[in-house]
Amino acid sequence: MNKNQQGILQINADYATKYGFNVPENYVFKSRKGLSREIVEKISEMKNEPKWMTDFRLRSLDIFMKKSMPKWGANLDTINFDDIYYYLKPTEEKAKSWEDLPEEIKNTFDRLGIPEAERKFLGGVGAQYESENLYHSIREDLAKKGVIFLGMDDGLKEYPEIVKKYFGTIVPPEDNKFAALNSAVWSGGSFVLVPKGVKVDVPLQAYFRINAANMGQFERTLIIAEENSFVHYTEGCFTKGTPIKTISGLKNIEDIKEGDIVLTHTNSYKKVYKIQKRKHDGVMCTINYFGDTRHEIKITGDHPILSVRRTKTEYKNNEWETEWVESKNLEKGDYVAIPIDRTIISQDGRFFSVKLSRGRHTPKVIEFKIDTDKDFFRLVGYYMAEGSIIKENYLTFTFNKNEKAFIEDVKELLEKFFGKAPLENEEYKNGISLVLCSTLAARLFKQEFGSGAKNKSLPKWFMLEAPEKQVEFIKAYWRGDGSFINKKYSWGKKRMFRINTISEVLAEQTRDLLLRLNIFASINVWNKKEPRSNSFAIYIGGSHLHNFADIVSHNINGSANNAGKLLLKQELMSYTQITDKYAFVPIKDIKREIVKNVEVYNFSVEDDESYIAHGIAVHNCTAPVYTTDSLHSAVVEIIALPGSRVRYTTIQNWSPNVYNLVTKRAYAYENATVEWVDCNIGSKITSKYPSVFLVGKGAKGEILSIAFAGKGQHQDAGGKAVHLAPNTQSTITSKSISKDGGRTTYRGLLKVYPGCKNVKSNVRCDALILDDKSASDTIPYMEINEKDVSIGHEASVGKISDEQLFYLMSRGLNEAEAMAMIVRGFIEPISKELPMEFALELNRLIELEMEGSVG
Amino acid sequence: MSESLEIKDLHVKVEGKEILKGLNIKIKQGEIHAIMGPNGSGKSTLANTLMGHPIYDVERGQILLNKEDVLQYKANERAKKGLFLAFQYPTAVPGVTMFNFLRTAYNAVKVNGHAKDKKQELTSVLQFSKLLNEKLKMLKMDESFVKRYVNDGFSGGEKKRSEILQMALLEPKFAVLDETDSGLDVDALRIVSEGINKLSGPNLGVLIITHYQRILRYIKPDHVHVMIDGKIVKSGGHDLAEKLEEEGYDWIIKEIKNE
Repeated sequence: MNKNQQGILQINADYATKYGFNVPENYVFKSRKGLSREIVEKISEMKNEPKWMTDFRLRSLDIFMKKSMPKWGANLDTINFDDIYYYLKPTEEKAKSWEDLPEEIKNTFDRLGIPEAERKFLGGVGAQYESENLYHSIREDLAKKGVIFLGMDDGLKEYPEIVKKYFGTIVPPEDNKFAALNSAVWSGGSFVLVPKGVKVDVPLQAYFRINAANMGQFERTLIIAEENSFVHYTEGCFTKGTPIKTISGLKNIEDIKEGDIVLTHTNSYKKVYKIQKRKHDGVMCTINYFGDTRHEIKITGDHPILSVRRTKTEYKNNEWETEWVESKNLEKGDYVAIPIDRTIISQDGRFFSVKLSRGRHTPKVIEFKIDTDKDFFRLVGYYMAEGSIIKENYLTFTFNKNEKAFIEDVKELLEKFFGKAPLENEEYKNGISLVLCSTLAARLFKQEFGSGAKNKSLPKWFMLEAPEKQVEFIKAYWRGDGSFINKKYSWGKKRMFRINTISEVLAEQTRDLLLRLNIFASINVWNKKEPRSNSFAIYIGGSHLHNFADIVSHNINGSANNAGKLLLKQELMSYTQITDKYAFVPIKDIKREIVKNVEVYNFSVEDDESYIAHGIAVHNCTAPVYTTDSLHSAVVEIIALPGSRVRYTTIQNWSPNVYNLVTKRAYAYENATVEWVDCNIGSKITSKYPSVFLVGKGAKGEILSIAFAGKGQHQDAGGKAVHLAPNTQSTITSKSISKDGGRTTYRGLLKVYPGCKNVKSNVRCDALILDDKSASDTIPYMEINEKDVSIGHEASVGKISDEQLFYLMSRGLNEAEAMAMIVRGFIEPISKELPMEFALELNRLIELEMEGSVG
Repeated sequence: MSESLEIKDLHVKVEGKEILKGLNIKIKQGEIHAIMGPNGSGKSTLANTLMGHPIYDVERGQILLNKEDVLQYKANERAKKGLFLAFQYPTAVPGVTMFNFLRTAYNAVKVNGHAKDKKQELTSVLQFSKLLNEKLKMLKMDESFVKRYVNDGFSGGEKKRSEILQMALLEPKFAVLDETDSGLDVDALRIVSEGINKLSGPNLGVLIITHYQRILRYIKPDHVHVMIDGKIVKSGGHDLAEKLEEEGYDWIIKEIKNE
């Protein structure tokens, strides 16, 4: 191993301990650190670019070298340009379909929920990992209309003339040092062209992700909207660690944000914990908690866990104020928190892409729409209990002959959804099987819900659907695989509902669905010897008995006359508590030991499966963070030709070691409209001022900006509107929030050139400062060189008032919840403009920021 | 068993100045009490102190809710224990819809708080909407009301109705109504009063704090107390309220001086 390689490995090992999930690096090409003519030439050569682009890059490099750092704005002195990798190429070939992507990369994006997003109503999806676009796809009907949605590199290859005409015309390399840098080393990004008159009614979406340390990401996006067209382009930017919660909606985000290890474990993420080893000296704690017999949590003593301290020696607490407690300070009886994801994204219908043919090079993909209503959820419940898939062509359900009602129900459901009646066969031992010969149905179920009892699981969209529908799933699933236990023991009666499964993921997911219905279920594991699979039993008892009985319509009190809500005395005693956000379960047992040089999270392969310590919220904030920085310096150019409308939405949550220095600019021609919606959370420093140049009569520009600065962060954001033609309009709305010593700056420019009569503009910037440590500045520049204009400007700096807090707290909200609610209200004028999933994401990120401070 | 709210020898300072000077009162569930008093007698201080506003310093005394001193608790915990304050001046929270606010409050107070019902409520959006619509109907409020932002741009009457709507949803054990009649026209006063009357019953203790007797034409209190200079100086039945309406507070002040 040469020295350079060692260096890289070193960084990687280091990085893994600091963040949650980063994937071991396995790049086809990684440039040396630092920037030089050779590196720029090499990038261009590897991309096989035309000469004009190589020249453009080299010219830009010269400009970058000559230009001084901006003298205004956030302090960028700490950026070390020599300590950055400017180009990383993760794979040799671009993927044609999602399945073709390398496993590691696919997993990473799976965690971001991207394939799922694609199946929904998006027009197209692009994904960028480090420097290269790995994947771009666009809905077929849009492609037919001539809409182009490609990676920027492919755009250059396939449409060199168009790219040459526009590239660098809106943001030339001379514009600023970082635009020059991007122009020299750009890689990836998107190229979008919407032809005349075409309205793209669904958003085109791009995702960006930085994985490696000291990495620079320099994507370049060019959007051209021809006359009278419309497009909405959205981008989500994330650093490692942050978005795991979107995987399946199973887990709480705050823990994941810091890249915590314990919480990220579920069966689907084996790779995550394999790489997370480090040596630990000091206290190790082993924690068991009630309600889950599967595993003990092993955790270092200084690792904070979201907990509620026990205040009563018997029974359970009255108060459920959470705090972060280092695990070594926890006691038996204290409560740990199982996060409940109550997000609801309900759709009456969904499109599923189902691959039909096998073994050919280009599989036929069918877009199939299902009414995802209560009935469908019930069908899924039956499938989980009794369903199987045979030879990928037959969707089969097996019942006992006596289960007539269920058999009829399934028959009707199959007919409803697939327009076909199943065949009914007599089976061995009083069995009846229903067989639906439909490749489409079989593959759809296999793809969405898994096949084989051990591998069944529910997709993310299912987990986030409306609880009314999920009830139907539970109902049918229990009918098939569940039972009611009513036993007499010497000490009394014990009654409970049980569901058995050998899919651990499904057990977990069923538990989570029940939590959304405010029902607590415990999971018990029976470890079995190979080749038999471990079996998981989900139990619902105690005070939750009746709620579950209601759902599955099971009379638990024997005779119909006695169907009242009688609970046995011991059933009234529930040791758990469910709140809006968490289920609290007491710690059964905690052991502490001093260890030396122990490898933390070092699982052997067999243990791998069983060591799933997730479930409770664990924080990793006290770990020393981030000694290395990454640089994100993108350029976005938009050309909105006459009469067109372009909306560009960004939500970013970079980790706190990223310098985020982005130049975004649009030209709006006659009667065109350009809208920027820009939400900045995270990063170390953000400098970003999306701008609209209103170059044609009647053009309109709107800029909505949200910035949230936490500890050690500076969000220097705002917008620019430059009026170069008469009858043009612009509005800039900025909302900034600073907390825990964070700093926000609104920096904006409104410029009206002479002769631009009848210009209307309104600028509004509001800042909310949450504590005395934090700060906010407002720097609104205005250069108005025409008299016949109407300009409005309002600015406010506020703090959360004691009266607002008291009012909300008097209605039961604790202080953090009350603050979060006020902040959500504060940004509402902007968040209501976001697509729903972005708005939800934003709200969650903000909630997390509000309650996430440790100490 | 009916519970009680008992205030014992309560002394409260605001910014160093003593406002409540040894106040005593005991309210049982099922009872309606009214505290009347001239301006500056400490009525609002009492209301805010009961709910736990942080700027009021309790120097001495106890506030016992079912024999437990709630002074140790913050406002949100008191709410969960079944205490409710209808504000004289409810604060606006722009950008937060009433629906969102009410649902969050309902989950905090009812599902995780004092709700007696052992069965935990399912509070899906749909179920909550249903419940909310019932309450809206009761208070003759339009369904579109819940789409508006909390107290943002509400008229005086809307603010007060919104407070009673919250009370109807949260079903407290004890409700303190701070000048609920102020700023209401006759029709609004009638509707609000009817709402309160519908909510009162054996499981609710009400403490009406008011300057005027007006609201007491619609809500008949079991006990009327007169508060002057931070103390209860006289207690009686409904006739006391009528006498105050006719003759003002001067005769009581004289009476005290003569003693």
